[in-house]
Amino acid sequence: MAKSIGVSFSMGASEGGLDADKNTGELENTYILRPIFQQRFRPSVVKGCIHAVLKEELENAEYSPEEMPQLTKRLSETIKDKLKELGYDRYKMVVQVVIGEQRGEGVFMAARCFWDADTDNYTHDIFMNDTLFCVVAAFGCFYY
Amino acid sequence: MEPGKKRTKDDTWKADDLRRQLWAVQSGHPREDKKLREKKLHKESEVASLEYREHRSKDPDRDVRRRERVAERDPQTSMENPHGERDHEKHRERRKDVKYREKDKLKERHREQDPEKSHSRGKDKEKEKEKDRKVRKEELKQTTAYHNLLVREGRGRQLLERAEKKVRAASKARTEEKERRDEDSERGDEERERRYRERKLQYGDNKENPLSYWLYKEDERKHRKPRETDQEKRYQEKSSTREKREKHSKEKGNSFSDKEGEERHRIKRHKEGFHLEEGRRSHRDKKERSSKEEHKKREQKEIEKEDTDLETAGADDYSASFEDDFEDYEDDFEVCDGDDDSNNEPDSQGKTEELPLAQKREIQEIQKAINAENERVGELSSKMFQKQGRMEYEQEPQADANTSPSRTPVCGIFVDFATASHRQKSRSQAIKQKTRSTKLLRLIDLDFSFTFSVLDLPPVNEYDMYIRNFGKKNTKQAYVQYNEDSVDRDIQTEDIETREVWTQHPGESAIVSGGNEERDFSDATVVPRIDTPRLSSFLRAACQVIAVLLEEDRLAAGPSWNPHCQDSTLSISDSSSQLNTSLPFLQNRKVSCLHASRVQRHTVVSVHDLPEKRFSQSLDSRHLLCVWDIWQPSGPQKVLICESKVTCCCFSPFKAFLLFAGTVHGSVVVWDLREDSRIHQYVRLSDCFWTFRTPTFSTDGILTSVNHRSPLQAIESVSTSVYKKQSFVLSPFSTEEEMAGLSFHIASLDNGGVLNVWVVVELPKADISGSMSDLGLLPGGRIKLVHSAVIRLDDSLSHKGTEFWGSPQTLSVKFLPSDPNHFVVGTDIGLISHGTRQDWKVSPKLFKPQQHGIRPVKVNVIDFSPFGEPIFLAGCSDGSIRLHQLTCERPLVQWDSSTNGRAVISLQWSPTRPALFLVQDESSSIYIWDLLENDLAPVAKQPICPDRDAHPGGLKTLLETVDS
Repeated sequence: MAKSIGVSFSMGASEGGLDADKNTGELENTYILRPIFQQRFRPSVVKGCIHAVLKEELENAEYSPEEMPQLTKRLSETIKDKLKELGYDRYKMVVQVVIGEQRGEGVFMAARCFWDADTDNYTHDIFMNDTLFCVVAAFGCFYY
Repeated sequence: MEPGKKRTKDDTWKADDLRRQLWAVQSGHPREDKKLREKKLHKESEVASLEYREHRSKDPDRDVRRRERVAERDPQTSMENPHGERDHEKHRERRKDVKYREKDKLKERHREQDPEKSHSRGKDKEKEKEKDRKVRKEELKQTTAYHNLLVREGRGRQLLERAEKKVRAASKARTEEKERRDEDSERGDEERERRYRERKLQYGDNKENPLSYWLYKEDERKHRKPRETDQEKRYQEKSSTREKREKHSKEKGNSFSDKEGEERHRIKRHKEGFHLEEGRRSHRDKKERSSKEEHKKREQKEIEKEDTDLETAGADDYSASFEDDFEDYEDDFEVCDGDDDSNNEPDSQGKTEELPLAQKREIQEIQKAINAENERVGELSSKMFQKQGRMEYEQEPQADANTSPSRTPVCGIFVDFATASHRQKSRSQAIKQKTRSTKLLRLIDLDFSFTFSVLDLPPVNEYDMYIRNFGKKNTKQAYVQYNEDSVDRDIQTEDIETREVWTQHPGESAIVSGGNEERDFSDATVVPRIDTPRLSSFLRAACQVIAVLLEEDRLAAGPSWNPHCQDSTLSISDSSSQLNTSLPFLQNRKVSCLHASRVQRHTVVSVHDLPEKRFSQSLDSRHLLCVWDIWQPSGPQKVLICESKVTCCCFSPFKAFLLFAGTVHGSVVVWDLREDSRIHQYVRLSDCFWTFRTPTFSTDGILTSVNHRSPLQAIESVSTSVYKKQSFVLSPFSTEEEMAGLSFHIASLDNGGVLNVWVVVELPKADISGSMSDLGLLPGGRIKLVHSAVIRLDDSLSHKGTEFWGSPQTLSVKFLPSDPNHFVVGTDIGLISHGTRQDWKVSPKLFKPQQHGIRPVKVNVIDFSPFGEPIFLAGCSDGSIRLHQLTCERPLVQWDSSTNGRAVISLQWSPTRPALFLVQDESSSIYIWDLLENDLAPVAKQPICPDRDAHPGGLKTLLETVDS
């Protein structure tokens, strides 16, 4: 028996950031269309960060249906905060945490994003132990 | 909507004005207008009402909203109109399809009714606010009483309105539709009244809890939302957004002025009624308050300005929904805007220009009144409002205004301000974002990137899951393979044990069944390795020993022989035994010769002559030889047969397994005693098998050139010890023993003086079928004789000059033990010839007796001393015994009369005692000589009487036996 969780996540990143040219009107706005190289969302770094958090938090965790909602929230908050510390200034971070019980069922999770593939990226990390699996997907969307 | 509206505001207003005038004339509105004019500044109010009416015509829903809002704020007074309106709407919706044609007319009707309603509502608002304030002031104490009052007031007002409407309805009554419409409105009024009462009861209580009250209002607002879609439609109908904007601003201005007009009306009414003084006060208050609030308003206004700017900038992109929001927002702030527009806002210059001076004045008055009222209320109810929440706190100035009944509407509107500002802010943000996004979307490409597979956890089958959990319970599954390479099933199975079993139903014998188990058992028992030669040798030795023991037992048991022997041999020997010659085939045979082996002294061979009596046909014509073991005298070891008469015989020198014999026919025969008895003839005699061995090799008929032509007199073995150098040349034998056993020559001497030397050759392999080359060899035999040399002695003897006597006969021959090259030959003339095999010159050539001259004396026997002394004894037929030294011609000693003239036939040195020898004479007497004791005569004489025995040949006592 296979259970599939389809997570379809679409996001249009739009944020009124700089409106310096408001009054001039005729002039074209100068938007920052690409992140600074150093601040570019790097999946590997983010993955490492997530992994560290997961390892710390879930090392001895066991699945219990009552605790999981809080755990997912806590994890997502923790990871989000950690990612913010990494200094992706113009990124909007979306962290999704899914925890499921390991009972031998098949699980398939997929994500699809409507975004600018040049600037936005995502990474995910999976933590598994005997009783649960935890999938963390972190999406970074660039603020233009 | 109307083409006239495209023109300037003045034009539109004029057009509206005209239309309204027309309607008024027809429907009796002028009267109402007149009334209003009478009460207050007629012109202004008329303009305001006109404007308002126009506004209503454009946007009836908004009117409804306004009315509702009023109703919310003070349900007691204002419920009639909203309800009516709602009813109208309901009706309209119901009949929408039917009345679609009459839409325009309906709208016109709306226009008619709306002003009235707005007027009445204006009054209602005042009352409502008034009540609100009172309620808040006096709190629960006055609530009930006041309610009654309010009810009364409301009724009064309603009656008035109804009357007016009735009049109007009567005056109209032109079209059926209009009539119906009026009836509806009347009905609506009644319904409104009823609902108003209900709601009053409901919210009279709720007023105590302002929060819930406010919540209710919010609900109402939500309800309003759907109607905005209608509005939206209408806007879309408009020719251009630009016009729309203008109208909005106009409407704003108009509505505000309208409101002010209403306020004025209300004020008037209040003044007419019971709050004249208050009204004045409120005027003052209003002024004060407006100055205060203007400050706040301006901030909002600025935001509004921004909005409008944005609108102009991104006008094309405005979505309908956004417009709605914007309208909504404007609605919320209409009063404020009204204030600003009318008094302070410089942007709306067109409006201010259009506003008549009288209106301005009135606005100012109203503001003053509001300010005054605010002051008063602030003083009175500051405590009460502190308790209320944030929203209420923001509404504090409004609450102040509530103290004055004439200012109530203003205050009610301000309740929404804070939230509205929030909404406005968020909306402005949204606008910004929208513009930003629209611009950015042109620059960037959003796409659905490929799907990320975040997690793919395949289903685990049951067994794996079990295993996964199994390992956690402190248990372990072990996989054992005893033979790691052999995983196949076939390999792992053990070998099948099989057993063969047979059975037979009609059993032939006692065994009816069996199996290979026994066979296995027999297989398992290892066949003992038999060392055949060793066993045979053992058996041979053992048999001999046993046979000897048995023989001794028999001798001891049967003492019949012993007395004779003891009697006869006591003198010279301890004991003697008689060989059993009474065997059937030996009976009646004369023993002609007897010979003992020098090495195996217990082996004796006896030669038997032809029998005197017939015994057996096969044996009668043959001569017999018997090989005896003296320890087994009961029977011969082996029995040999020979065709011719055997004259002499001898054993092989070292081991007595070969027997050589010489015959009267001059032939030399050899018996190999080792031969298997099966190749020989055997005869069953008296329950006993006797093997009669024929000679292995015989020189009869062969080697005729060198062979003897006369009877053999002597045969002697020549020891190999002296022939060391030659022995191995001739010997084909491999083993030392064999070589030693066969490293000798055989010398045969006939009486013609011919001495032949033979070499004994053992064939390596016996040929059972006989040999073609080796004639004279027994089939299966392995020993043959090869002629080596011939020595003729007659020359040396004859040249002596003894021609007188003819050719002498040679009778015996002996080889010197220390030097086999030398030999002595006894002759019948009393001389002993000394010769060598290599024709060497020897001296003396002849050994002569002491008596000179040649005499016919036979030298029968010669014997060398076995102790290495070169001396020999010679026994002669005349009874003399001579002791010769090899180097001396004449004898050392000669005993002539020891035997009394009887011929010496045998003479033997003792092998153990050097000076002792035995002599036998022809009368079978034995003389024992011990030279150390007596060198003149024999020390003992033992006559043996053969006649006492039944044996004709008699027995010769062996010297060896005597010695031992």
